[in-house]
Amino acid sequence: MRTRLFFKLFGAYVVIAVLAVVVAGFVIERQIKAGLTRWIEDDLMAQAKIIALMPDAEIARQFRLLAERAQARVTLIDAAGRVIADSHSHLIAVDNHLNRSEIQEARLKGQGASIRYSQTLKADTLNVALPLYYGQNLTGYIRLSRPMFQVVQSVDEIRLSVLKALLLTLLLSVILAVVFSSKIVAPIQEIAAFTDRIRKGDVSGMVMIESRDEIGQLARNINEMVSGLQEKIRQANDERWKLRAAFAGMAEGVMVLDAQHRIENLNKGMADIIGREYADIVGKSVLEVFRNVELQDALNRFRQAGEPVLQEIALGDDMPLVLDVSISAVKNLPGEAPKTMMVFHDLTRLKKLERMRVDFVANATHEIKTPLTAIIGFVETLEQGAIEDTAMARKFLHTIRENALRLNRLVDDLLILSNIELGETKLNLEGLVVADVLERALMLIQANAALKNISLRTDLSAELPLIRADRDKAVQIMLNILDNAVKFTPDGGQVSIAASEDEHDFITLKITDSGPGIPKSELPRLGERFYRVDKMRSRDLGGTGLGLSIVKHLMKAHQGSMEIDSTPGKGTVVSLKFSIFQKTS
Amino acid sequence: MEERRHTSREYERELREIKEGLLYLGALTERAIERSMQALLERDSELARQVVCDDDQIDRIDVEIEEKCIRLLALRQPAARDLRFITTAIKINGHLERIGDMASNIAEKAIILNDVPQIKPYIDLPRMAEIARKMIRESLDALVHENVALATSVREEDDAIDQLNDQIFRELLTFMLEDPRKIHASLYIMQISKSLERISDHAAGIADMVVYMVTGHSVRHKSSCEPKE
Repeated sequence: MRTRLFFKLFGAYVVIAVLAVVVAGFVIERQIKAGLTRWIEDDLMAQAKIIALMPDAEIARQFRLLAERAQARVTLIDAAGRVIADSHSHLIAVDNHLNRSEIQEARLKGQGASIRYSQTLKADTLNVALPLYYGQNLTGYIRLSRPMFQVVQSVDEIRLSVLKALLLTLLLSVILAVVFSSKIVAPIQEIAAFTDRIRKGDVSGMVMIESRDEIGQLARNINEMVSGLQEKIRQANDERWKLRAAFAGMAEGVMVLDAQHRIENLNKGMADIIGREYADIVGKSVLEVFRNVELQDALNRFRQAGEPVLQEIALGDDMPLVLDVSISAVKNLPGEAPKTMMVFHDLTRLKKLERMRVDFVANATHEIKTPLTAIIGFVETLEQGAIEDTAMARKFLHTIRENALRLNRLVDDLLILSNIELGETKLNLEGLVVADVLERALMLIQANAALKNISLRTDLSAELPLIRADRDKAVQIMLNILDNAVKFTPDGGQVSIAASEDEHDFITLKITDSGPGIPKSELPRLGERFYRVDKMRSRDLGGTGLGLSIVKHLMKAHQGSMEIDSTPGKGTVVSLKFSIFQKTS
Repeated sequence: MEERRHTSREYERELREIKEGLLYLGALTERAIERSMQALLERDSELARQVVCDDDQIDRIDVEIEEKCIRLLALRQPAARDLRFITTAIKINGHLERIGDMASNIAEKAIILNDVPQIKPYIDLPRMAEIARKMIRESLDALVHENVALATSVREEDDAIDQLNDQIFRELLTFMLEDPRKIHASLYIMQISKSLERISDHAAGIADMVVYMVTGHSVRHKSSCEPKE
């Protein structure tokens, strides 16, 4: 309660009350003083007039009695101003009384009055004087004086009353100030506390003031304002969350550049596409993050032309991505520096599929065309007379047969592949001993290996569990991989096979060769149909280009997987993962 | 006061422009190396000629950056860190321009090699190119992040390049001794290998300049004749 407003109110009340009391006291005092004086004067004058009727000698003789009756000091003065008799003084004043103002007034106007401090009575004294006449002759003056004790006493009483009133008023002022300030200050304080909370950001609740006056109105206005504010904040929050959710949830990468061309914001999609942390990117320039000429050129083009730019860019091989980027201006509030929006679509997968399709058609045509060309060529040669030369014809026919067989193999492989892909290949899953399957495959490959003087080494632990696979398909898988290994390993090299059980209910077969290896960049494309790492060489080696593709698909059908790891110059490791056969399954 | 702040912002922008210019030049040289190698591996002479042509752009930007640096030196009188940055930028700029020239050289050799039968599969050369590009990228990353540790690690990768260069040299020497018809192609392959080796040297030079820029201490020119332990 001890607030500044309280003291202001209290001060105001005190000033007003004190002023009122003092002014009123002053006025009343003056009125009463004047009234009393007039009353005394009139009384004295009336008595003086009665006394003046008596002859001078009689007055002089009986003036003591007169003074007693009139309750006044009676002085008799002759025409020259000498005091003849005085009721209160035994000493006859030496000085001439003719100059006294009441005497002068009486001489001129017929009666006179004055108030003077009397040395004799030691008090303010009211004097009245009348001239005395004998016939037409002025014989002297009669003067009556009475001290004004009564007036002084009355005035003192009034002053005391005023003082008492003042004290009472002060007390009342305090009470009033307390009451009013509690009525006015308390709600204002409540409003102040409430608005302070709003200022600090807490817009909940409302201020409760039951009042119909202006303060009540103020409180109601504030409440309405705050509830409006709450609604606006809620809407803004909703919008922000919606936007944020859309921004964060987009698969497309979005980046916003500020006016200084620094990356101001980006979404999760963007960070995911380029595989970097948000904090790693924000605040940098596009060049700092991407280090890509095409992207920077596109951005520069956008800045120069000011029109949206759409471009496909391929990022370098540390980020092997094909991105479709669209650059446009962000519409922002007038006066704000222009911002740039970059939206990235990841086309890497699409591009890969597209390339695979194009490559497949090109490769398939090529693979079929090569033996066909040979067959046609030799047949034509035979027709043109080579058939007469039996030895030559036999040789040609052999070549034609070779090429026809190759075509046949190709078509067979394609059929196998499409059957697997269409899911038409029935797998007869059973528990197989790895060593048995491997042995069958090795039997078929041994002749080729011996030809190139390649040593085949197997390292199987004796207690491997059974694998869950189709017998014929498992042999085909291993045969394909071993065939590749032998084919690409130079003369005198070695191929080793190891098998181990890992903790996830899988058996992993590792086929390691000492071939030239495969560059890292080619690894992801292995298993694509007709994809060849070294295009010239592998075709000479007689493959169809479908071997790994078939293995990959067969492994998938077995719920297993194939992984290829390679070090250029050292060799290649193919890992085949088969699931373990469980009797219950 | 407003005027000064304005000037200071201009100055900041100019510094940033130089930095961005270096990064752009770095990206251009990286692309040139990538394309020249692609031209060699895929026997794409058209692409190789494109690389040679693109070197003009590298040279132009080199001149631009140098002019910007000199103008900034003359007009702004940079001190301390900024001065080190500008002098570093001038040197890095030079290194990058030389790298561009090397890439252009590789492309020229690729054109010649594409006209003769390939004598061996290129395995080590792409690896060298990959390491060299990584070194350029990392040295410029070090510049962007002012990362001394990264810059120092760039220098270490130079050894791998030197080893590969030696390996290619020995291999080609055997080829040439075995079959004199392979001498022609071998010599060009050797020059490409040498160019890649030079590129890695320049990248290491850039990394050294970054160390100098950040720390103020020069790490260049380590003694070649280290005492035997």
